[in-house]
Amino acid sequence: MSSPSKRREMDLMKLMMSDYRVEMVNDGMQEFYVYFHGPNESLYQGGVWRVRVELPDAYPYKSPSIGFVNKIYHPNVDEMSGSVCLDVINQTWSPMFDLVNVFEVFLPQLLLYPNPSDPLNGEAAALMMRDRPAYEQKVKEYCEKYAKPEDAGAPKEDISSDEELSEDEYDSSDEAVVGKPDP
Amino acid sequence: MLPRKRFVEAEVEDEVADAGLRKKTRSDCLISSASRAAAAEEGNHSGSANGMDMECDANGSNPPEIDEDLHSRQLAVYGRETMRRLFASNVLISGLNGLGAEIAKNLVLAGVKSVTLHDEGNVDMWDLSSNFFFSEGDVGENRALACVQKLQELNNAVIISTLTETLSKEHLSNFQAVVFTDISLEKAIEYDDYCRSQLPPIAFIKSEVRGLFGSVFCDFGPDFTVFDVDGEEPHTGIIASISNDNPALVSCVDDERLEFQDGDLVVFSEVHGMTELNDGKPRKVKNARPYSFTLEEDTTQFGAYTKGGIVTQVKQPKVLQFKSLRDALRDPGDFLLSDFSKFDRPPLLHLAFQALDKFRHDLGRFPVAGSEDDVQKLIALGVHINESLGDGKLEQIDKKLLHHFSHGSRAILNPMAAMFGGIVGQEVVKACSGKFHPLFQFFYFDSVESLPTEPLEPSDLKPMNCRYDAQISVFGSKLQKKLEEAKIFMVGSGALGCEFLKNLALMGVCCSQKGKLTITDDDVIEKSNLSRQFLFRDWNIGQAKSTVAASAAMAINPALHIEALQNRASPETENVFDDAFWESLDAVINALDNVTARMYIDSRCLYFQKPLLESGTLGAKCNTQMVIPHLTENYGASRDPPEKQAPMCTVHSFPHNIDHCLTWARSEFEGLLEKTPNEVNTFLSNPSAYASAMKSAGDAQARDLLERVLECLDRDRCETFQDCISWARLKFEDYFSNRVKQLTFTFPEDSATSTGAPFWSAPKRFPRPLQFSSSDPSHLHFVMAAAILRAETFGIPIPDWAKNPKKLADAVDAVIVPDFLPKTGVKIVTDEKATSLSAASIDDAAVINDLIAKLEECAKKLPPGFRMNPIQFEKDDDTNYHMDFIAGLANMRARNYSIPEVDKLKAKFIAGRIIPAIATSTAMATGLVCLELYKVLAGGHKLEDYRNTFANLALPLFSMAEPVPPKTIKHRDMSWTVWDRWIIKGDLTLRELLRWLEDRGLNAYSISCGTSLLYNSMFPRHKDRMDKKVVDVAKEVAKVEVPPYRRHLDVVVACEDDEDNDIDIPLISIYSP
Repeated sequence: MSSPSKRREMDLMKLMMSDYRVEMVNDGMQEFYVYFHGPNESLYQGGVWRVRVELPDAYPYKSPSIGFVNKIYHPNVDEMSGSVCLDVINQTWSPMFDLVNVFEVFLPQLLLYPNPSDPLNGEAAALMMRDRPAYEQKVKEYCEKYAKPEDAGAPKEDISSDEELSEDEYDSSDEAVVGKPDP
Repeated sequence: MLPRKRFVEAEVEDEVADAGLRKKTRSDCLISSASRAAAAEEGNHSGSANGMDMECDANGSNPPEIDEDLHSRQLAVYGRETMRRLFASNVLISGLNGLGAEIAKNLVLAGVKSVTLHDEGNVDMWDLSSNFFFSEGDVGENRALACVQKLQELNNAVIISTLTETLSKEHLSNFQAVVFTDISLEKAIEYDDYCRSQLPPIAFIKSEVRGLFGSVFCDFGPDFTVFDVDGEEPHTGIIASISNDNPALVSCVDDERLEFQDGDLVVFSEVHGMTELNDGKPRKVKNARPYSFTLEEDTTQFGAYTKGGIVTQVKQPKVLQFKSLRDALRDPGDFLLSDFSKFDRPPLLHLAFQALDKFRHDLGRFPVAGSEDDVQKLIALGVHINESLGDGKLEQIDKKLLHHFSHGSRAILNPMAAMFGGIVGQEVVKACSGKFHPLFQFFYFDSVESLPTEPLEPSDLKPMNCRYDAQISVFGSKLQKKLEEAKIFMVGSGALGCEFLKNLALMGVCCSQKGKLTITDDDVIEKSNLSRQFLFRDWNIGQAKSTVAASAAMAINPALHIEALQNRASPETENVFDDAFWESLDAVINALDNVTARMYIDSRCLYFQKPLLESGTLGAKCNTQMVIPHLTENYGASRDPPEKQAPMCTVHSFPHNIDHCLTWARSEFEGLLEKTPNEVNTFLSNPSAYASAMKSAGDAQARDLLERVLECLDRDRCETFQDCISWARLKFEDYFSNRVKQLTFTFPEDSATSTGAPFWSAPKRFPRPLQFSSSDPSHLHFVMAAAILRAETFGIPIPDWAKNPKKLADAVDAVIVPDFLPKTGVKIVTDEKATSLSAASIDDAAVINDLIAKLEECAKKLPPGFRMNPIQFEKDDDTNYHMDFIAGLANMRARNYSIPEVDKLKAKFIAGRIIPAIATSTAMATGLVCLELYKVLAGGHKLEDYRNTFANLALPLFSMAEPVPPKTIKHRDMSWTVWDRWIIKGDLTLRELLRWLEDRGLNAYSISCGTSLLYNSMFPRHKDRMDKKVVDVAKEVAKVEVPPYRRHLDVVVACEDDEDNDIDIPLISIYSP
């Protein structure tokens, strides 16, 4: 493992090398957004979520904090805050993991195999356990309603009115789109 | 602030008067001797083994109440039972040299019942090297008398008396433990025999520090019971299954690894099915594995396990048979080892200390420093004793070591006294309480590596008739001068800081006009500090720690040249601690209590290439780490894993231990009493700005915030105290009844997951709602605390009757509580419409607009200038109801889930994240660090001369080792470590910087400054920056300017070599011309 001081740089680089669209705010490396596509063969296929990534000071010793910005209906994601209850990005995080693991493995697994036994969204968990078809329908409805590419990707109109933006070109969002365009 | 123990206080007043007379007769011991007799009679009662008994007062009063505000950090280590035993113990300390003073300080801070100081000798100049109670004016006075007053100031609740006459065996009978720091072997053997023969035996401890050598011997009697061998909490596990087998296999849930060991005894509770195991009988663990173990029990005839169950370790007392000093001298058994590179040292030191005793016996003095003649005499005595040992004799005697031993033997050095004062102080606590495993029985230690690397001339060791004579006799006057002229930065002046200041003052570090000690701490003194931060007195409460500590240190040695600052060491104070300041330093001492600040100071020391002496304590444990430029790795190179946090869903709805309940309680406290009132104030101070911010956020969080604010100002707004009671009562209903009903409605007890497994299976616990009753004191107490805090946020005065249970109960019973109907959204699955989006998620934006309108309407009805008072959690004020509310929240929730409840003190330890702390381990850590400081300031030492230490006084365990060297990275013909920095001169553009690296075979893909990215090869936008100066890009993007006192800018570069391997290169400093 390389020096922890350069892990932010490396993680960011690897994410982009793996064709993730990363949105930086003012070129800060502590907090940025990554666009995440619902995995194929899952109920979430076709949905796109803007995921907020926060790297704490002690990263990679301390786990990154991950939150869905646009709504998702999932037993292990808090509907209100978008925070995720997943052991590998909380309790069992290891400095050996990186952000590519989070987006390539951990989040897709979570969306493919929800764990209703440890729910953060109790209602979603109960529905999943009791009435699978209704649950699936609701997941899809949420995707349809909140997770269309434009829901995630379109810059919010409000930002343009943000005072900081007008003056300095470097204050605008940086987006690197490499390879794969949005579906 | 007055101590709570009124009757003890009265006693103390008498004692202080006595101390004023500076002479104590034996009458002061009568009380304790009577109590000892009483204790001896009750010797068979439970809990009074080893002659320790709580009923200590001859007049039959109750055991003294513990002043929990004062002792909270220590209570977190020892627990109440041990503290009560300490309060009942009388201790004799004979020999008030530096070691005696350290032991006395530690015991008085810990709070024993009485300490009797015995010394027949008078203070001389040599004592000033180590006894911090003495000043030059005390020279010629009796040592015990010269200490007593300053010692008493440390803790008024301890009776301190003196004995200046010749000691006799009869004197000893008044004590539970006796400690000798300067006694002949002959006398020691006589006293030890006497102490062993008493019923119950008196614990006997003999300890000496001689130059850089030290020894401890303990004899707690032929039959001593240790109640708690390690001080760790009993381990527990949540059961997943138990087999009907012989032996039975017990499997636990895989949430947390089990920490049982083979041979541990465990008890079971809450087991369903195999209820035979719930009988409370301890059973033995075999074959312990991370998530299972076998149980020495035939369960074939037991009921079949169905569900539930908790397994808990039962801590076993241990009985130790101590040898007498007489026998142990001849047959010392295993020595406690501290340093594996010196595994053959203890037998040699065992011999050396005996030879020194013989030398003093024969010549009536110590060997003279620098006298070759005395060295030879000592060696001859050593050889003679060795010859008499027969089979046990040493093959070889290391004469060089005896040489060092002889030279320094008269000197008591402060760092050695601090280290051994900590060890011995802890042994006394063990002797008095049975808590922690005693030292069994000999411990020897040396730190000859602390000597300067060049040989010392005898003329350099000659006394100069000054307070440093003892230290000069060991290290020479050249090093003494270096110590006095050192420039040192000490960060923090709390527990470690106070001890360090005392050490530095005694050693003479920074004690000349050329020297300078800068200390900084942004904290003020609180009562809970006083039980170990011994430079502070209760009249200093509220004052700045650094200032008070600095003046106390100057009282120890007026020559100390010190400046006290109140700045937090952080990036924000780099204008105070600027480059010039850092460059002037010789060494940095950390006396910190948190990792963030340690990491920061580490990074500064790396940057300015300064030695960093790091240490920390946790209860009885301590560690020290030396960070020496280019020789060792830095502090941040290795890290402990971050603290474990409970999963969110567990804390939210499925707690299974009290920690989960307390985490939840704290977050509810913050939400209700701090965040929401703050949010309300933000809205009220600028309603239109707030509204537009919420509208533009437009998400679920914004909606949630608005709902809370509206609730506070509208439906739940309190105007009278009765309103607050209603609010508290309804909160109770919501938290402990309605929410539980809702959860069990959503997930009934028999619900199953998709695979058919029961939903409510371990570690999840099925909750049951509470039925409020004003006759349940804990229900009522919760409502009281909640109502009082709620009133505080609304600025409503609290009526006196609020604290009267009867009147409060009447007020609570008057509250109308609506019936609860669970939300049925998820149940009505047949109705398509109910599960569709319509109900749950109407457009957030529309709801937000509606909420804002309501809020604006409601703000009009408020009195002008209305604001709420947010409450910040303060754990250490027992009268503010914060902990009452948090403990209430947590315990009521625990009751919902049938989790054992905790008292307010335990709740405070967990919820307040109180770090257990005691004086002994703190003192020891600073002693160890100061032994290293000699090396740092002398200079020229190699890596193998330095030591890092991990110690646990509870076991006891001492583990010292050479520091780890820094990792060296090689690339082409270059090599570097973390201590290196690359310097580039010239006002480069980004392109030129990349080029510079390329020339060295390094392909940079990312360049950053602070937390901002200056360049990343993947961002197309960054290509535009290529021809800008690096300094300008930093200015624009990172908002970082080269400060006026600096000419360079530092950037972090991530790069690869030509084979695409990541290469970790040093920080690059770009110097603009």
